[in-house]
Amino acid sequence: MKTLFKKELQFYLNNPLGYIALVLFGVFTNFMFVKDIFVYGSASMRPFFEILPWLFMIFIPAVSMRLFAEERRTNTMETLLSLPISEMQIVFSKFLATLAVTAIGLVLTLGLPISMYALTQQAGSRIYLPEIFVGYMGQLLLASGFIAISMFFSVKTKNQIIAFLGSVIILFFLIIFSTDFAAGTLPQFLQGIFNYLSPTTQVDNFIRGVLDIRSMYYFVSITVLFIFLTVVDLEKRP
Amino acid sequence: MISVANIVKKFGQTVAVNDISFTTKKGEIIGFLGPNGAGKTTTIRLILGLIKPTSGTITVEKSDPIKDRLDVLTQIGYLPENNPLYGEMKVSEYLQFIAEMKRVSDPLLIDEIVKDVSIDDKYDVKIEELSRGYRQRVGLATALLGDPNILILDEPTSGLDPIEQDKIKNLIKKVAKKKIVIFSTHILSEVEDIANRLIIINKGKIVYDGKKPARKGSVETLFKKLVK
Repeated sequence: MKTLFKKELQFYLNNPLGYIALVLFGVFTNFMFVKDIFVYGSASMRPFFEILPWLFMIFIPAVSMRLFAEERRTNTMETLLSLPISEMQIVFSKFLATLAVTAIGLVLTLGLPISMYALTQQAGSRIYLPEIFVGYMGQLLLASGFIAISMFFSVKTKNQIIAFLGSVIILFFLIIFSTDFAAGTLPQFLQGIFNYLSPTTQVDNFIRGVLDIRSMYYFVSITVLFIFLTVVDLEKRP
Repeated sequence: MISVANIVKKFGQTVAVNDISFTTKKGEIIGFLGPNGAGKTTTIRLILGLIKPTSGTITVEKSDPIKDRLDVLTQIGYLPENNPLYGEMKVSEYLQFIAEMKRVSDPLLIDEIVKDVSIDDKYDVKIEELSRGYRQRVGLATALLGDPNILILDEPTSGLDPIEQDKIKNLIKKVAKKKIVIFSTHILSEVEDIANRLIIINKGKIVYDGKKPARKGSVETLFKKLVK
């Protein structure tokens, strides 16, 4: 499993695609936050964490779309499935490699809390670091759910573009479930369900610095569910 | 030992393999002949557990290719049809990757195979930059890695020039002594040169299974007589 993980990770690190995706993600996240940093009026990372799911909505499908679709298109799937490695190990290796790439993307944004920490200290104030740490943890959990969903789309098709668009659409709807704009049009009882099902509602707890076990459970469940569905699809024999 | 018993494989309404049975034992080099679409690749993919038979049973060293997938795959070296490879990897990286997946720990074994299939001069070249002949040899090298008991080669010499074909044929003969080798091909002379058993398949059915005829040119005569 370690071997496949290493190979998958090296694909991004030996390939311009990985660097382009990572740099774009780093530039966009930093820019989106910094452009309004003096408008917020408070030294908080919350606006940054609120932007991240929207960027993940594009970045994660972009790095995950190839995971299985490319293997199916070039038929290397047959090579992979004829090696002594289980389908579960294949899916896990690919999932963990993509999660590692996303984590590298998040590391590229660490300059923001560091600068903010330095700035607030100069002003004689300070920001609460554990809150930021929990915020990042929430984003990583959210990312793992998104990767699992995108990976499932990738296993269903040979076409990377379809995998990309399919997962972007689903992630988009999941994100907007909890917005007032979408929720307002739904009946009351559906609003509650959709609100709970939206990853933005769940990640909100982490953004506020709360380590909520229910939200962790939500993200772990989403991840496990879609990893399971991907494994089942891969185990299917025509 | 591979045992294929009354295997039927349908894709929708199309019957790809229709009630075929055969068993193989160590030391056999089986030439698997048939026209395009006869069911050769389907049979090979059934043995590897890549597809499920509609009916019938297959066992590879007493294991079921679907239920005991990993046990079966550790015994088989496989060269798929059209030889799909990870183009973005260098030959060295790819062989290392496959070796680790097959738990081959001795780097000398990789070196030995690299020399055997004569790809040492392209060891640090990206696979996507290789010619078809070299790619084929890389595929063959990965099938040989791990010294498997069974070698299944789907058109191993396709795309190779006559000199390369001879090298590969000699290599197959050399490694085959303690193994079961099944290779599918369109090239009738290839069967004459290396196989000791011949299975001819046509329209999903086995039309000939037996010793390879000894006389030169007789495989072609037999093939043309059985496959119309």
